[in-house]
Amino acid sequence: MSSLGALRFHASVSLLGRAALRLDRLRTEHKLARMKSAGPHLGPPLMTSGWLKELISRHYLTGRYVRGVRKVAWVTSGAPVEHLKALGYYLMYPENHGAVCGIRRWGERQCLAAEDAGYSRDLCSYARTDFGTVLSGQTPVGRLPPPDLLVCCNNICQTVLYWYQVLAHHFQVPLVLIDTPFLYTEARPHMLAFVRKQIDAAVEVAERTAGRSLAPARLEEVMRLSHEAIGLWLKIMQTGRNRPAPITAFDEFIHMAPIVEMRGEESTVAYYRALLAELEERTRRGVGALQAERKRLLWDNLPIWYRLRPLSESLAARGVALVASTYTNAWGELVERIDPTRPLDSMAEVYLHPILNRGTGHKLATMARMLKEYQADGVLLHSDRSCKPYSVGQMDQQRRLAGELGAPALLLDADHNDPRAYSEEQAENRLQAFLEVLGA
Amino acid sequence: MTLAALGIDVGSTATKLVGVTAAGDIAWRRLAPTAPRIEAQAEALLAEARAQPGGERAPTVATGYGRKLVASATRALTEITCHARGVYRRTGRAGTLVDIGGQDSKVILIGAQGQVLHFVMNDKCAAGTGRFLEVTAGRLQLPVAEMGDMARAATAEVPISSTCTVFAESEIVSLLARGTPVEHVVRGLHRALVHRVTSLVRSLGPRPPYFLSGGVAHNAAVAAFLGEALGAPVERAEEPQLMGAYGAALSALEP
Amino acid sequence: MPNEIHVPSRREAIRAQVQSGGGLAAVFPYHPPRALLRAHGLLPVEVWGPPGRSSSRGDAHLQPYTCSLVRAGLSFLLEGGLDQARVVLVPHGCDSLQGLGSVLLDFVKPAPPVLTCYLPRGDRALDRAFLADELRELDARLAAALGTRPDEAALLAAVEREERADQALGELLEGRARVGLGEEAFYRLVRSREYLPAEDFAALAGRALAAPAASARPARTPLVVSGLVPEPMALLSVLEAAGATVTGDDLACSGRRRYRPTQGPEPFARMSEGMLSGPPDSTRGASVEARLQHLRQLARAAGARGVVFLTLKFCEPELYYLPQLREGLAQDGVRALSLEVDLAEALPAPLVTRLEAFVETLR
Repeated sequence: MSSLGALRFHASVSLLGRAALRLDRLRTEHKLARMKSAGPHLGPPLMTSGWLKELISRHYLTGRYVRGVRKVAWVTSGAPVEHLKALGYYLMYPENHGAVCGIRRWGERQCLAAEDAGYSRDLCSYARTDFGTVLSGQTPVGRLPPPDLLVCCNNICQTVLYWYQVLAHHFQVPLVLIDTPFLYTEARPHMLAFVRKQIDAAVEVAERTAGRSLAPARLEEVMRLSHEAIGLWLKIMQTGRNRPAPITAFDEFIHMAPIVEMRGEESTVAYYRALLAELEERTRRGVGALQAERKRLLWDNLPIWYRLRPLSESLAARGVALVASTYTNAWGELVERIDPTRPLDSMAEVYLHPILNRGTGHKLATMARMLKEYQADGVLLHSDRSCKPYSVGQMDQQRRLAGELGAPALLLDADHNDPRAYSEEQAENRLQAFLEVLGA
Repeated sequence: MTLAALGIDVGSTATKLVGVTAAGDIAWRRLAPTAPRIEAQAEALLAEARAQPGGERAPTVATGYGRKLVASATRALTEITCHARGVYRRTGRAGTLVDIGGQDSKVILIGAQGQVLHFVMNDKCAAGTGRFLEVTAGRLQLPVAEMGDMARAATAEVPISSTCTVFAESEIVSLLARGTPVEHVVRGLHRALVHRVTSLVRSLGPRPPYFLSGGVAHNAAVAAFLGEALGAPVERAEEPQLMGAYGAALSALEP
Repeated sequence: MPNEIHVPSRREAIRAQVQSGGGLAAVFPYHPPRALLRAHGLLPVEVWGPPGRSSSRGDAHLQPYTCSLVRAGLSFLLEGGLDQARVVLVPHGCDSLQGLGSVLLDFVKPAPPVLTCYLPRGDRALDRAFLADELRELDARLAAALGTRPDEAALLAAVEREERADQALGELLEGRARVGLGEEAFYRLVRSREYLPAEDFAALAGRALAAPAASARPARTPLVVSGLVPEPMALLSVLEAAGATVTGDDLACSGRRRYRPTQGPEPFARMSEGMLSGPPDSTRGASVEARLQHLRQLARAAGARGVVFLTLKFCEPELYYLPQLREGLAQDGVRALSLEVDLAEALPAPLVTRLEAFVETLR
């Protein structure tokens, strides 16, 4: 660590940055407290939003100055990270950063920068957003720290593997792959053993790059914090089972950031405790996320980041609440597979089982279960041009949902980060027709 | 003037024929909308050229998408090679040639000796081609030839986010339904087309100077907007539609 | 004479297998465990599309943004094209094939049993051990489906037969200049590896190499071809008419399946080692650097100054690598052209123009 870099880091992040962000949070909370509603048809805003903003801003602020101070790993959203956390790595999630770009309407510009460099428009828009960021050096969060290590786990798609190979060639840094065999049916013992061995190998590389060894006690601690945050996150989502739902999937899309990129941290646990308390309080008082909730829907697939707000408003205006989503659920549903006392074994188990690493029939079963648990009236299936593993199967799932499961389902064509693959008119029209069918 | 060689460019929209002197100057030219019977039309036009002094013995190179249907041609070459040759002969400089035709658009990197260094073409989608303007002109009930001037004269523009021709059509419908002035839509459409072509140019790495050829080069707005997007002026080739045929004729002069 | 070499069609190979009382396995790309299937009495017949057919029936299950290979394959299955197969094997090679396998298992449920096999994305010792286990499981599932139980000797014999055919494929590709066949005919021969019994393919390749070339072929522009599959095959004739010849092969359906011979007493370990021994392949997680080095070496050996990438629309394993490969090749003065095709379509005119123009720039 260069002493100058350390000094800059402490001055900018630990002293000034933290204080400024705390002040900003107090200001936001003050503003939120005076707001009656989060939108014309929405309920009151979540007070913890200010805290969330502080956490996310601090994460990117740290990233801005972290180079040379801590080792940096770029990781996929489904990758095992507890060992990296325990080794003191700063973690960058290109997918989460992509979502930030999407929400701030930077997606198209970043995609174009990647396309200008020859990357096909048919590639995942997260990957294009990332390549665009790397190639242009521009991002709405200031600056991303270049990686010392790349960690890729293909339990969400194979796309991330090619994407990270491109990054590895660009940055000339080691790439660790944790290869998780796709579960068409159940996990077989040789698959678990395969992932377990790779986690050992990943730990070795991470130790070598960090120049220190993993302390078992610290790993257990991170695992415990991770486990606790995941449990809280699941409970937070489950408050959506109440009528009216105190939280919608649109809120979850925003509030999920810490569970993805900051799990294993004390502050994440504290924040989710506060969010859960707020939602429980709302439930007690009968306060809903919508001013008037008439219909309840389930969302499948990634959000349409650049249309979050308009879509949320337009559904709220019709009294439709998105009470749950398979996407946000993915970061909570595996809580029971985690055993902090057997950290590495349970990592192998957990990271083999995300919904995206399982068959299309399993996803249908998950949706059928969630429909019941959340008493939802139907499903919005976002057919996401940029996410094939999530989307393939939806055509059959839709038929089954609408058929024997008696839940009307709409296939909504869009793309999670590239607004050019989305037709507002067409989507609005289909959505309206669907809601008419639903009687909303 | 005696014709020393002929070049015929059978494009998707128009068929162009050029006769050159031994010095490589254009001495004779014809342009006609491409007829469904390509072979017959090409031969009829060639017969006319061959009736000119020297034309009877002039070697002929065919290019364009119907090049293989020209039975009496000595040789067939792609329009990429021919456009580059024609434009290079006119400009004498290396640079980037953007050719926007009816069905496809291409960007050609021309080297210091006029050779093709590299090229890219639009993908299957029609968004970056003349067809995009034709379709949208139809939807707006405007003559294509007037769209460029209208776009340049417009004082404001609406962004057309869909680069897909089909999506763009539905976007236009809804913009008009919201009372957006037609000129603003037209200006937005030109911007969208240029956007698409610009990314083709960028994918080759920007290398000025820029030249524009093909039928769409008649549209002043496209050249102006393209220049803005690339941050350098775009020179429109004289007789932009003839550059392919001219390059073919120049190739026919070579042994 | 070279033109006396008759390459049996898929249909002929299937008929011969059925007449001899053997069964068929319909196999999707990319790296099929051929030896294992043969040991169970099945002839693996690969399904690359098939090209030039409507994919409309598959479109009822797969969104239009999945690749045409998978949509065409599913359509073909739904039309009864794979009804003769005793099993359908969908190896896990990419997200689209993963989706196909899963939709077949969970929703379409065709009459022949659908089997899958996960291809590890590396070639570390642990990857080879995993694949060997995966093949043992597949062996058990084949046994359950067919009642066949090949013993170790039968498995080893099958492995060796495939290895001889793999070697023949390598010799054929390297001996391209000596084989007096046109581009399209040559690739019909190469691609018969996708459906002929290994021993028949090896014999056919041997005959083609032994036949004296009719006459020295005129000097042609050498090219390396990469990508998935040379479809539509007429592209090869376009290339030939433009004065070029394919002298380096990095296609997923041929060059990337030049597996190396293996040794040892354990059949599953050998199958696994062999399957992971081919040239760098993105579906097996190869790095950009490894692929670049391989292409460079192919171009150098062939004296080629151009590489043509034949990609299918939406094919991520191919498309991600292109910009960096193009850049790396350019540093060696090797140009790249990428052509995107849709398997359902006949030869589109703009592709012909691009290919011809590319050859013109290389002269």
